Amino acid sequence: MLSGGLQNVCGSFLVDFKDSLYQNFIEDDRYMYLVSGLGTTLVITLFAVLIGIVLGFLVAIVRSTYDKTGKLKVLSKICGCYLTIIRGTPAVVQLLIMYYIVFVNFDSKITVAIIAFGINSGAYVAEIVRSGIMSIDKGQMEAGRSLGFGYAQTMWYIIIPQAFKNVLPALANEFIVLLKETSICGYIGLMDLTRGGDIIRSRTYEAFLPLFAVALIYLLLVMILTKLVSILERRLRTSER
Amino acid sequence: MSVNGEILFEIDNLCKAFGDMLVLDHISTQIRKGEVVVIVGPSGSGKSTFLRSLNLLEEPTDGTISFEGMNITDPSVNINTYRQKIGMVFQHFNLFPHKTILENMTLAPIKLLKLSKAEAEAEAMELLKRVGLEEKAHAYPAQLSGGQKQRIAIVRSLCMHPDVILFDEPTSALDPEMVGEVLSVMSDLARDGMTMVIVTHEMNFAREVGTRVMFVDEGQIKEENTPKEFFDAPKNPRLQEFLSKIL
Ligand SMILES: Nc1ncnc2c1ncn2[C@@H]1O[C@H](COP(=O)(O)OP(=O)(O)O)[C@@H](O)[C@H]1O
Ligand SMILES: [Mg+2]
Repeated sequence: MLSGGLQNVCGSFLVDFKDSLYQNFIEDDRYMYLVSGLGTTLVITLFAVLIGIVLGFLVAIVRSTYDKTGKLKVLSKICGCYLTIIRGTPAVVQLLIMYYIVFVNFDSKITVAIIAFGINSGAYVAEIVRSGIMSIDKGQMEAGRSLGFGYAQTMWYIIIPQAFKNVLPALANEFIVLLKETSICGYIGLMDLTRGGDIIRSRTYEAFLPLFAVALIYLLLVMILTKLVSILERRLRTSER
Repeated sequence: MSVNGEILFEIDNLCKAFGDMLVLDHISTQIRKGEVVVIVGPSGSGKSTFLRSLNLLEEPTDGTISFEGMNITDPSVNINTYRQKIGMVFQHFNLFPHKTILENMTLAPIKLLKLSKAEAEAEAMELLKRVGLEEKAHAYPAQLSGGQKQRIAIVRSLCMHPDVILFDEPTSALDPEMVGEVLSVMSDLARDGMTMVIVTHEMNFAREVGTRVMFVDEGQIKEENTPKEFFDAPKNPRLQEFLSKIL
């Protein structure tokens, strides 16, 4: 009697769960919201990362050049302002400003998001890379210069490669952060992974499955990236040093 | 070697101040082709600063340095081209840890002298053979002992065909058993006629290999002479005191 009741409860839960799965993901091909949303999330992250690296390295080089030689003062101050502003304001606000003010007549939301996140990430990358550059022994610069390399050449051939290697794990972590941060781009009406899940929720009036599915996908991505970072770290440690 | 060769460095009233502290106090001297000038003196007396001024790693605050007839302290001079002719060996080697030994040696010749990779590598291998380290060509600096690193640093500077090499305490960071191998490479260079300026505490080396020994104290050259005169008949009281402490 009692066990039969439990069986019924379990059975009906399983049936409900199956119905729920069907409704949320299969019916009307709703899983496509997640798939295309994931695509958008990955595209934004990837290109923002590229912009962030380039911007971050440029800013880091300008700032450490000023720190070490006193040159590029004006440029360095401008970079300092950039860092202060970007790191002192929420990413959502930066995204909204980009979309509603800076690129007001611009069609491609995804491009706006890429630029906004690229500029945002550049500020964090810059500080990581600068610490990497400053950690390189000053004898390296002197050795390069004494061979006849100019400052920029020494930076490029000798300092930056070592700095890059030293901060690679920190950079990779920064990109894990960025991946999660892009979840705010629903604010400008972009259909990313988070928004995809939210749309399913609004169609099926059920929050549990769509939102947990979204969370699970982020978690898997982050775990994969974290694993890659740790493999990378181990590789870097075993080679040469 | 002839010590009456042409003048490589003409140093005229060279001064260097760090803030209020005058570290080099109106130094004037010449360094000729073929000379092996050994600089000794108490710690903090300005030896490194003087040596590093010769390739402008330290910028003089006053005075002039001419190298091969060109005033390199003139701000309009592009120092990079002259530095190619002035090799430098550091106390802490300063090899590039992210590059193999061969890459350490060929980077500058390929990028600056525009040698082909093959040419640069052939020449580097030749030099590696001369210092008995050809089997380390593809190793990284971290895999070498201190003495090996310093020998590599020396041949790395040789790859640029310098007219003079500056050494700042090249054996001071080495374990005692490795000092000999580095000094012997330096002696070979001297025998081959390389012009060298060497800051060191190795007095036997100064006596045997040096053509001139210079006593730097309180930012001035207090005495300079042939090794024999310098060690056997020092005139400056500070030098006499210095020698009595270390010999
Ligand atoms: N970059 C620097 N900034 C300030 N003071 C310095 C610097 N480099 C050297 N000095 C000072 O200059 C003096 C001479 O230094 P150095 O030339 O290294 O002496 P030595 O090589 O004879 O031991 C020392 O008192 C040292 O503290
Ligand atoms: Mg010194």
